[in-house]
Amino acid sequence: MSTVAFNPTERASAPASSATAAHTVRHKIAQREQLTESTGHYWGIEEFTLKDADPLKFERFYSRLQSACMAAREVARFVAASPGGREMGEAVWALATAEGDSIALSEGFVAHSAAFPVAVRFMVEHGYEDNPGFHDGDVYVADDGFSCGAPHPGDTYTYVPIVIEGEVIAWACAINHIMEVGAPQAGSWAMFCVDTYMDGFVFPPTRTGENLRQYAWWDEMWKRRTRAGTMNILDDKMRLAGAGMILRSVHEVVAEFGVEYFKRAAREVIEESRRVVMDNIRNWMVPGTYEQCGFRVCKFKGLQKLWERADTDTLIHMHMRTTVDARGRICNDMTGSSRWGYHAFNAFPGGVKVAFMLGLAGALAYNTKFTAGGNYAVTGVLPEGSIYNPGTQVASHSNAWAQMLQVTTMAYNALIRGQFMRGYMEEAYAVSAPWDSVQGEGVLADGTPYGYTNFELLGACGHGAFAYRDGEPAVWFIASQLCNMGNSEEFEYLIPPLFHLGRKLQPGFCGHGKFRAGIGLTTVHWVVEPGQRLTASRAGSACSFNTEVGQGMMGGYPSPGAAVVIAQDTNLPELIAQGITPTTLQELVELHASGQLKVGKLETWKSDAPDHNLKDNDLWAEIAGTGGGWGDPLERDPLAVLADANAGQVPAEFAENLYGVVLSRRGAGYCLNAEATQAKRTALRAERRAQSLPVRQWWQHGRNQVLEGSMPDAVREMYRSSTSFAEYRTHFRDFWQLPVDFEI
Amino acid sequence: MSAIAPTQPGKKDCILALDAGGTMTDTILVLPDGSFKVGKSLTNRRDEARSYLESVADTAQAIGLSSAEVHARTAVSIYAGTGMLNTVLTGSGRKAGLLVTRGFEDITIIEGGLTYLGQAQKDSLHNQLHEHTRPMIERQHVHGVLERTCGGSYFMEKHIAPGKVLIPFNAEHVRSAVTQLLADGVEVIGILFLNSFINPANELGAKAIAEQVIAAHDARVPVLTSYEVAPVLKENNRVKSLMLQCTAAESTRAALLDVQRAAQADGYGGQLLTLLSYGGAVNVSYPRLYETVISGPIGGMMGAQVLSRVLDLKRVLCCDMGGTSFDVGLVLNGQIPIRKDPEFAGHRLALPMVALDSVGAGAGSAVWLDKYKRLRVGPESAGAEVGSCYLYDRLTITDVNVALGYVDPDYFLGGKVKLDYERAVAALEQTVARPLGIDLYTAGSGILEVVGTQMRDAAATMMLAKGYNPAEFTTLVYGGAGPVHMWDFTAGLGVADIITVPYAAAFSAFGASCAEYMHRHHKGYVATIANDSNSVHKQRVGREIAALFSAMEVAAADEMRAEGADVSDIAFQYGIYARYIGQLESFDTPLAIADAAQAADCDGLVAAFETMYTQIYPEGARFPEVGYAISELYLKASVPKAMPLVPRYELAAPKPRDSAYVGSRAVHHRGRKCDFSVWQMGELLPGNVLPGPAIIRDPMTTLVVPPHKQVRFDEFMIIHYG
Repeated sequence: MSTVAFNPTERASAPASSATAAHTVRHKIAQREQLTESTGHYWGIEEFTLKDADPLKFERFYSRLQSACMAAREVARFVAASPGGREMGEAVWALATAEGDSIALSEGFVAHSAAFPVAVRFMVEHGYEDNPGFHDGDVYVADDGFSCGAPHPGDTYTYVPIVIEGEVIAWACAINHIMEVGAPQAGSWAMFCVDTYMDGFVFPPTRTGENLRQYAWWDEMWKRRTRAGTMNILDDKMRLAGAGMILRSVHEVVAEFGVEYFKRAAREVIEESRRVVMDNIRNWMVPGTYEQCGFRVCKFKGLQKLWERADTDTLIHMHMRTTVDARGRICNDMTGSSRWGYHAFNAFPGGVKVAFMLGLAGALAYNTKFTAGGNYAVTGVLPEGSIYNPGTQVASHSNAWAQMLQVTTMAYNALIRGQFMRGYMEEAYAVSAPWDSVQGEGVLADGTPYGYTNFELLGACGHGAFAYRDGEPAVWFIASQLCNMGNSEEFEYLIPPLFHLGRKLQPGFCGHGKFRAGIGLTTVHWVVEPGQRLTASRAGSACSFNTEVGQGMMGGYPSPGAAVVIAQDTNLPELIAQGITPTTLQELVELHASGQLKVGKLETWKSDAPDHNLKDNDLWAEIAGTGGGWGDPLERDPLAVLADANAGQVPAEFAENLYGVVLSRRGAGYCLNAEATQAKRTALRAERRAQSLPVRQWWQHGRNQVLEGSMPDAVREMYRSSTSFAEYRTHFRDFWQLPVDFEI
Repeated sequence: MSAIAPTQPGKKDCILALDAGGTMTDTILVLPDGSFKVGKSLTNRRDEARSYLESVADTAQAIGLSSAEVHARTAVSIYAGTGMLNTVLTGSGRKAGLLVTRGFEDITIIEGGLTYLGQAQKDSLHNQLHEHTRPMIERQHVHGVLERTCGGSYFMEKHIAPGKVLIPFNAEHVRSAVTQLLADGVEVIGILFLNSFINPANELGAKAIAEQVIAAHDARVPVLTSYEVAPVLKENNRVKSLMLQCTAAESTRAALLDVQRAAQADGYGGQLLTLLSYGGAVNVSYPRLYETVISGPIGGMMGAQVLSRVLDLKRVLCCDMGGTSFDVGLVLNGQIPIRKDPEFAGHRLALPMVALDSVGAGAGSAVWLDKYKRLRVGPESAGAEVGSCYLYDRLTITDVNVALGYVDPDYFLGGKVKLDYERAVAALEQTVARPLGIDLYTAGSGILEVVGTQMRDAAATMMLAKGYNPAEFTTLVYGGAGPVHMWDFTAGLGVADIITVPYAAAFSAFGASCAEYMHRHHKGYVATIANDSNSVHKQRVGREIAALFSAMEVAAADEMRAEGADVSDIAFQYGIYARYIGQLESFDTPLAIADAAQAADCDGLVAAFETMYTQIYPEGARFPEVGYAISELYLKASVPKAMPLVPRYELAAPKPRDSAYVGSRAVHHRGRKCDFSVWQMGELLPGNVLPGPAIIRDPMTTLVVPPHKQVRFDEFMIIHYG
């Protein structure tokens, strides 16, 4: 085996002099853009010269790079401190071209590679190539959405330039979601930030080390600026360890194949996958437009009294108009979405690209080499000034995912609808992407501080219903193919005062329909010996489309909304003595309603729960993790409803009132009353007809509301914001047939 | 010269090793002179005792004996198979009930959300089609019991002590649940409580109550706890091991006891042994029989372990190429590394298992082009149908070897099976050459190059991913297809030596016969050694660990004694799982200590961890300033059993005798047609040297020596290639 490897004593440096301008990253970016745009092919590659000349060598080349990325993950992830990075799929290692386009990736957070080119471009445009220059084995780290495309500051990127004979030929990259970002509100997703100066430890691409080793000061930054310094340092070491392995592998590959082969073959790999993805789009979708919208509650009123500009409750509008053309290209136009604001839910274009690809990446590219090729088949229109392209650096993006997962699910849902239309029934399902988490910080009795995030309700959720079958519970994770809730015993090891009293399925908690979604998850945490302080908050909720309310399809019901119930000052020890504990959110509520569980304070949050100070025997219960139904519940096979009831997955009262299936008790279970079922369903259909309106009547009513402005302030403000974009204003006026001079 | 080191007097001088696969039950009979005979029978899933006897009889016939005569001379009979795998896959195990910590009753359905296990990347990327593996225990047979124990945190003594019982188990919940499970007709009951690996008090207490209830019902239902089966962190893995033991292991034990009774009735005087998934053999009384669930591919690893000791090889890269896969593993300083949470049939277990990586490329793997004209190999395999040259309807790697001339179509299995050269050529032409617009032999060479690259990458990754220097390794090649492809996948590996053996095709069975009689015990343990830990703290931790090792020694010896083993010469090896404080993953850290008392040196434990860690990761990944956490201890206990010896011979002259020469054959090697001399494996002697281009044929395999290479047979009949 050749041993041409990284040599820390002789650092190859990329030149910045004009004599070698063609080798600069700046030049390569310009050349890629010019060739790609003018030819319609990545880097102008119309013929696969290397692949055609020796297809087997070409495959061998790619295999080397792919296995290098896989091996990097397999080895490096064990350095991690956070379960998200180690095994829950919240990390990825990749090899990218000099311009930042991924050539090969490990398993994991693959869609996050869409942000690589943003960081590379930023570094080049801001003079990094000259000062300090790119050297083989340098280490750059970033987590800023504005400059590196990170969807939010918890997603932390490491980039290592691979330099051969003075030329950057590639980057070894790694990403993982860290547990604590050092914002005023502790955890991974600070929810109540006004601007980016409250986002936490946010930094543009920064050279933090060289020779595959971090500078000493860099560890101190994690310790000083975040509440989980040790964990974040170990995650940082994890990313770098894997990137170093990729760098060494690339040096070996180049020694075997040559630099020119590497550069050309990498581009052919990407172009090949781009064509496969476009083939897939052509085969799986119907050309045309797919229009969708979603909403997100932003409850800042009263929480931000210090910052008057943010002291308001608003509703964020997400509007996506997806166009699929006959060549197999997707364009997601976000025009009509709200303007950016002084809240935590803004996003920057790099992060939006990641959001587009989060669901589409696997769905469109599982049958080809996974590269940046797919990123060239899916583009977007992000109007400046909007929540997806603020046009200002000051916008906070700390909790962008709390609305942006709707962007992901809308983009994915367009594909699903296309597949359904084309008859790919086995692919068609009600897209779901719930995520939920408890996060916070604490101080132990001896004064030891710490920060934490529990990823369990993020790492796995139920499928929405399919067009031909029910979804399954805790089965997938839209952000990664590595669905994993982690182990309760591990989270308790990391978050000392929180002990699980329940980690279960919540019967009936799903989108219902002819086929129902996978049953959702519920957890109950019990606070034991919190020490001086334990605070907890919950990010990710209050969305209409997803993440928290899975949309139903073809007459299927949406999923119920996710929620948190916080019980403080309880008599839990008395209940334990009686052999009773709440094991689900629903049980907690019922125990309280029955008077058995006595509480000093009981709160239910269906939107973002702010920080709560928790004491001994307080309870924190959550419910989340399901999707929407598919088809009319009244068309569900009564025997399937009976089976659900007997399995304890759907309560009997749901059977009758929701499915129109009448069940009778038989022993410990139920049996079907077929005659009563038929009568009940007939009655329910009659009820529906009685309540329904002709479309024209419905439309006229809505139009009157718009004309009179009879809508809640937050809704009015939302439409005012969206219609401030000219194109959407026209769209809105046309739909409601409003006067030309009408303004909300 | 006797090649057997018998531990029993008299004529107990043979070893039987059987591998009961899904289709065939293979037997290797190791004779006193170190030679061996191979036999086989069709596996009879309903009556494994029958196929066992038929296979032994087939082998005995080769030396003119009956199965009874062989059994009478057999010191050890080892029987490994796929019975437990089939039990799990078909859900045909025992009906089991489960008691879990209240609030975790859905754990068998949720299974941590792990729905991607065992998938290739393209399948895992298609994640909207993921599905759960069928639970081993039905949901209605899972009951909650109120209880809670603290597992400790990375803040250690700054918060609640590890193992503190926060809520004692609720005995009434146990009684009610067990009564219901008995009414439901369960045959076995498992108990899993959170953090029981640190303190099993609640689990063991619940077990005692459950047994009282069972006795009161005059029932015979065994009760197993997760602490007894797999006392390690991660409840989702632990419950899988517990369920496997409850549902599949006991029914497998019944089948193994049937085989043992049949062997003993036929004259075998010993106990039947079976293989552990982490190497080593145990008899069928072994309590944690689920640990034998993955035993197929590890026979060769154990054979490699024996060879490494005979040849004094410190680092061995094992490459096993069979019909459906290419498996690679390592033997380091005579030891086989293991994994703690392997994946098995869609389940992630808490089970030590020999660390192996597999590529779906074997001799029978189908070769095809997808619609983008990309070359694909496998995962479909022809199995016993070989390829287009025999009974399969698709192109396989063997077809390519036949078409290029490496494999003689008239000498497959020594000529017992005739392969069709013309059909192999036609399949290669139609499947690959014509669609790609290249000539037949370029296509064939290219296919072998791609397959060789995949295998080479897997082999290199196995070494490099752990930070090892390939130049320190000897590559050992075996499996029926190993010697055929050795020249290709070893090219450029950069290892010190490449070796194989004349019996490469049966090397895994040979390895099974080499298995140690060994148990491995794990014990969850939580301690930290911070940078500012004083000597008192270190001494306390050291003493605790030494005491735990001593207790584990006693438990291991008692267990082996109960199985009927002679423990007078029992030997122990020690290890810990450790990490930097804050890390979630602990690393296997073998301890070079002679006895349990030496584990009391806390600084020595830390030094062992640092040595291990820096072998894997670069300097920048170290983090000693945060201190160290120890999460688990393990002990390997072994006692001597009859083992084959690798015979040592006088060296003959380099030139082979004339009787070894068969003739010559045209081979299309790397795009060029050239003549390869052909030799008979059985006629070659120690000391012989054969320059390439040459082919050494054997009824069970073919060894290819390309131009400018040679093979040399040493005094152990080890074949060195270079």
